[in-house]
Amino acid sequence: MQRVIIIIIIKSENVRKTFHGLTLIFPKSAESESLASKYAYDEWLVSRFLEYVPRVEDFLSKMERPPTQYIRVNTLKTSRQELENRLRSKGFELRNTIMPEVLAVDKAPLATGATTEYLLGLYYIQDLGSCLAVDALDVAEGQAVLDVAAAPGGKTTFIAQKMNNSGSIIALEPNGRRARSMSFNIMRCGVYNTSIFRMDGLQASKFEMKFDRVLLDAPCSCEGVIAKDITRKTSHTPQDVDYCSRMQDKLIEVAARCVKPSGILLYSTCSFAPEENEMVIDRLLQKSGNITVEPVRHGSRGLTKFGDWTFDHQLKNALRLYPHIDDTTGFFIARLRVN
Amino acid sequence: MICRQPAREERTQINRALDRWGAFEFFKHKPLIIQEVGTKKKIVCLVTGGIEKAIQVMEDPYSAGLAIGELKKQFIPSIAGADLFARYGERNKYYITVGEKAENLVLYGRDIMGESIEAASDALDENELVIVLNTAFEAIAVGRTRFAGRSLFQKGRVTVSTIADAGYYLREEG
Repeated sequence: MQRVIIIIIIKSENVRKTFHGLTLIFPKSAESESLASKYAYDEWLVSRFLEYVPRVEDFLSKMERPPTQYIRVNTLKTSRQELENRLRSKGFELRNTIMPEVLAVDKAPLATGATTEYLLGLYYIQDLGSCLAVDALDVAEGQAVLDVAAAPGGKTTFIAQKMNNSGSIIALEPNGRRARSMSFNIMRCGVYNTSIFRMDGLQASKFEMKFDRVLLDAPCSCEGVIAKDITRKTSHTPQDVDYCSRMQDKLIEVAARCVKPSGILLYSTCSFAPEENEMVIDRLLQKSGNITVEPVRHGSRGLTKFGDWTFDHQLKNALRLYPHIDDTTGFFIARLRVN
Repeated sequence: MICRQPAREERTQINRALDRWGAFEFFKHKPLIIQEVGTKKKIVCLVTGGIEKAIQVMEDPYSAGLAIGELKKQFIPSIAGADLFARYGERNKYYITVGEKAENLVLYGRDIMGESIEAASDALDENELVIVLNTAFEAIAVGRTRFAGRSLFQKGRVTVSTIADAGYYLREEG
């Protein structure tokens, strides 16, 4: 079926904005054209960054460099000190981060994903932002956790680690290849409280179970990982944001229904686009009167305004991580308490 | 894939295997189930109560818990199982230790030469399943002896065949 895209033109004082489906497109400016040309981005993307990314040129410059590599110590198998000693003896240079389980790798004499320690599951290569999302989920031993879009399993295995392999984790992944990859990671990390089901997150309510914690690391347009995949500078389109935003709306509604009373739904994406983040949460808050957004430590505050839109004031409690400010991949995290 | 409780005979076979690897105590209070893939492969998994409930509802998980081994005529530990046995079990004659150089080769799936073995029990027989440890006593492979006793140390010959190794995760995933 041919996709129909509605373009609405809004005249508001001197600002002329268009919606490409859901995605807000801003008019060209000298700054957006200059930055887009200098860093080889599509202009529409830069003109949007100018609206929601602080210090845009610093950000674009940071995206030109390889992102900092982080490893998360798998405390199910080793201690941080023991792992540090082993890797340092092999010539690795490691640095502390704001999370005790996470180390930044400043120098690696061999591929971080090919050491004996990696193969034995003593650590997982995982971005600090991803680890902060799990930290915000605030899991405890013995809980029941649902991970809605789980592969490749970095967050799942970290949750299992934080639960000390107790309780139970149901991980959903519809793609067979990704589910297989995830099962390897689960085996490598020695996780035995997790079950993988090959199913779409939209079917999560079929379990007829309520969970203490639900993690929805939603499929997104991945604006935050351009440094890892520079083709996104020009391959990324407004349709991507539209598609993801619609999908995220559906997923978060299902995920919210799976949370026990007083439980937590953690929503995250690796995108900066407000349409995939604050807007999704805002719509959920409007639909269900029993959800509150709880503050999350670290990073920058969520947006409460974007273009002509004003979001629920609670959105300031959400978290935005920017590569040039927080030295992570781009991330959005919102912790929602279902009352 | 079908998940089910082990039958009595299977449970006995599993218990014997756990005892062999010195890990019976560790697994005593942990639920074990059988995953049947097709008609032949039976994988023993370790799961917790919440997952069992989910399996009852959904019936068809991609994987449940951690596969610690496969039940054939004999229980053959998986790498994940060997890791748990080495970590929490009592190391006995069925564990052998190799040096650092051999460790890297084993992680590429290579068989083990006699001169690479740093420690092995004299009481080992030919054709025995063994868990291969590195010098930090971490399980890096599951192997099968080609010789018995002191013959395992003979130079210039492969004395232990590697049947599974931790490098598998990387090779298969790639």
